[in-house]
Amino acid sequence: MRGLLAISLLVLGLATAGLSAQEEDPWGDDDPWAGEGEQGEDPWSDDWGDSWEEENGGVVVTGFAELGAGARLGSVGPVDRRTTLGELRLRGEAEWTGDWLDRSLEAKAVGDVWYDTVTDDLEVEVRNLTLVFSPVADIDVTLGRQVLTWGTGDLLFLNDLFPKDFVSFFAGRDDEYLKAPSDTLRAGFYGGAANVEVAWTPRFQPDEYLTGERFSFFSPRAGTIVAPDPPIGALEPRRYELALRVYRTVRGVEYAGYGYHGYFKQPTAVDADGRLTFAPLTSVGASVRLPLWSGLFNAEFAWYESRDDANGDDPSIPNSQLRFLAGFERELVANFTAGFQYYVEHTRDHDALLENSPTPEFEPEEYRHVLTNRLTYRISQDRWTLSLFTFYSPSDADFYLRPSVSFRQSDEWQFTAGGNWFGGRDDYTFFGQLEDNTNLYVRVRYNY
Amino acid sequence: MMNPTTKLLSLAAMLMLPFTAVQSAPDVDTIVERANLAAYYAGDDGRTEVRMVIYDAQGREQRRQFTILRRDVADGGDQEFLVVFSRPSDVRGTTFLVKKHIGRDDDRWLYLPGLDLVKRISAGDKRTSFVGAHYFYEDVSGRSPEEDEHEFVEETDEYYVLRHVPKEPGLVEFRDYTTWIDKETWLPMRIEYRNASGDTYRTIEAGAVETIEGFPTVTESRVQDTSLGGYTLMQFRYIDYDIGIPADIFSERSLRRPPLEWLERSEGGD
Repeated sequence: MRGLLAISLLVLGLATAGLSAQEEDPWGDDDPWAGEGEQGEDPWSDDWGDSWEEENGGVVVTGFAELGAGARLGSVGPVDRRTTLGELRLRGEAEWTGDWLDRSLEAKAVGDVWYDTVTDDLEVEVRNLTLVFSPVADIDVTLGRQVLTWGTGDLLFLNDLFPKDFVSFFAGRDDEYLKAPSDTLRAGFYGGAANVEVAWTPRFQPDEYLTGERFSFFSPRAGTIVAPDPPIGALEPRRYELALRVYRTVRGVEYAGYGYHGYFKQPTAVDADGRLTFAPLTSVGASVRLPLWSGLFNAEFAWYESRDDANGDDPSIPNSQLRFLAGFERELVANFTAGFQYYVEHTRDHDALLENSPTPEFEPEEYRHVLTNRLTYRISQDRWTLSLFTFYSPSDADFYLRPSVSFRQSDEWQFTAGGNWFGGRDDYTFFGQLEDNTNLYVRVRYNY
Repeated sequence: MMNPTTKLLSLAAMLMLPFTAVQSAPDVDTIVERANLAAYYAGDDGRTEVRMVIYDAQGREQRRQFTILRRDVADGGDQEFLVVFSRPSDVRGTTFLVKKHIGRDDDRWLYLPGLDLVKRISAGDKRTSFVGAHYFYEDVSGRSPEEDEHEFVEETDEYYVLRHVPKEPGLVEFRDYTTWIDKETWLPMRIEYRNASGDTYRTIEAGAVETIEGFPTVTESRVQDTSLGGYTLMQFRYIDYDIGIPADIFSERSLRRPPLEWLERSEGGD
């Protein structure tokens, strides 16, 4: 903790240095063009760090340092710790572009190293380590560790079965960390009647799920909220997963079809030895996104086929599901945007599930309805961003609110504060089980 | 019979006729069309690098650097733009694709590399800040002339002065705006936007014009907005026209993987 304090003082020192380095307005307010010669210093030459004559290229290195702190507000619950976020993080990014065998080749590396007061350890994550190239003109290949996203939902994922990090999401880390990287070969085939993208991950990469270390959750077996110590570790299949997207845009309307063959991303199955694991999953789906009434409309569905529980009568394996989403977003007044989504999960063979479940009272409803709302208000050319994202489920009678305020003091300094507020009638529902994890957080970032 | 003096006068009048026809201003629609072509449609395609300095009301500054690729589907008609950011570091790798349409809403997509997210931007957002600048999304690709009614205000030695009134006032934040169009280059050199009470609150000025590959081109501009405070300066360099950018560059593929071949500076570029 003392180390963290020392580093934060260092960061604050850098902040004040950044403030004092700001120069006076180089072009007078009255006549922007006249001042240039007289002052002998124009806004285009100073502080850019290089002259414009040097073209971008070769190796580019950037990154940031970030200090984050967050804590539970109310009851600590079974996790015997108030802190939900405590870290000093350093990000490094390097990019190289060049030619190889007459074709352009790009290499990228993005990594984080941080000291985490919750795990009390120095953590390392490689978020991107890729080579990008085109073996033939109409194909792009991205090989290596990468973050992948597709689909039309806003914080709701149907056909996007790439790994997500819910621990980071609930702890108040930057939105970027909701997407976890995977070691994947991604290939895109373009220029035909439709574009085709394939993502092959040789070894299944699950979500970062709640383990009990940072956040508690409901255990149907225990019948209560738990925070296992040591944290749970589910058994991960050592098999591949394959994701496919076919898409095309016609007159501004985006059509896409999806397929996935792999495993449920959360450890919702129990194996013969009673260990948590990931059940086999195959899914197909489709989406559409189009402009409508000066806003955007999207709809998406996905059919989740639980391969090992085709009749839904095995309580140790999740049932098949049909998931559907419809959303609309538009700017209501200048700089104030509102988005609404309706989402439903229909659990197939629900009767068979209840009949065979040892704990039918904790099983999900046959139809789980979720409404979401995103409000975003940007002030003073996006320097300030006020945001509130609300999940509310009428069928589960639970909710999750994500308010946040961020301030972009300069290109270097950014400040964010926010909260994660969970609640609900019951302990066993999706958001209701997270009530004791309700937290507030702050983050300070310096970009270099 | 005309006396010699009247004859001479009528001859002079006849000679004057074509002369005065040249002197009188073209009609409003012609000016609007030529200004639109000069400002947004030079060549069949083009590339430019842009540096932007954004000053807020307190004088604090932010910077942006990006490259724009443009392709005209038809002169004065549909256009496509790809914008690739290189600075600042937290915006680096962000890309922006616009498909500008005449007669229907433009399509806009923003790619956020950290999330690998292709985010669509709704048409209603077009008059909001472009990456924190005083410029709007709509200023990047140009406001379609059909969205306004145009009227002639006056002709000065250097400019045609026009006033433009939006056909759908509910979609914009201004009541009307006035443009000063250079009579030689047809470039709009100054645009003033007025609010509901008739006060000018937003001004876009061209600070420098250079002729590049035969096309008069604005190479420096400034937008000031008293309702927000502060202003944004823009500088354009390494401009190239008619380089033959293929249509398929303006696609989701390029959002994820910007086309280096077309983004790099050409040998002959300015």
